[in-house]
Amino acid sequence: MVKPMLKADLLNGLNEEDAGRVMALAKRTILTSGAELFHLGDSAESIYLIARGRLRLTLPMQVRDREENVLVEERVPGQTVGWSALIPPFRFTLTATAPLETEVFALSRDALHAHFAANPLAGYAVSMNLASVIGERLQLFQTMWVREVQRMVEARCA
Amino acid sequence: MEMLLMGACLSMFGLAVTCLAFGAATRPEHSTAAAAPAAELKKEMVKAAAPARFFVQQPIVPIAAHARVPLEALLLQLESHVRLEQAAVESFLQTPTSALLHSRTVSPLVN
Repeated sequence: MVKPMLKADLLNGLNEEDAGRVMALAKRTILTSGAELFHLGDSAESIYLIARGRLRLTLPMQVRDREENVLVEERVPGQTVGWSALIPPFRFTLTATAPLETEVFALSRDALHAHFAANPLAGYAVSMNLASVIGERLQLFQTMWVREVQRMVEARCA
Repeated sequence: MEMLLMGACLSMFGLAVTCLAFGAATRPEHSTAAAAPAAELKKEMVKAAAPARFFVQQPIVPIAAHARVPLEALLLQLESHVRLEQAAVESFLQTPTSALLHSRTVSPLVN
């Protein structure tokens, strides 16, 4: 099951051997349907690659005096979640839940740091991929925010 | 005697003119009927020019309509809204243009 993960977004640009070495650090986890991978505010020690299934990233929102976890983003196989593990202050800023049985590979921060210290080229490639994942999130949310503000302006000027 | 009476009359006339001039100078603007609509207009213009407090007031949302929707349906609408927004944003990121940035959504939450 590790082999398909060699094409994961975080390992893009690594040759098969280097990607295999990174994946050798990973710990496989199966989440049952409805299980939570991490919770908003938890200490973030590992980053996760999704091998199978799906993960819902949610944030709490007050809906009719009740706190509900509202979908923010959904991640699919080959994608990375939990990059808070590599970005200070190492706290998850979303909650990740599996809506169906889902398989993930967890890469701990400590293991990755040690590996990249010994393999800086692999560390560079993974860092660039991580920047890309974070950049996509930033672009997505800044655009969504501008669209909401635009609607607010239109509502007020109507 | 005539001179005295003429002097008194002139003094009284002078006093009356002074009082009228003082009254005209100190009369407030809104006391005239003609000035009232102008003042109203000015107030409205000041109100319209006041900066909107985007982050203080809640956006206008048809809450009454949403209140009738069951909670589960509302959450599904929220989820659908997020998905539609993400699709619109991804389309914008493929081809960034002002038109695509502010493309309309069919989400019932904002329509």
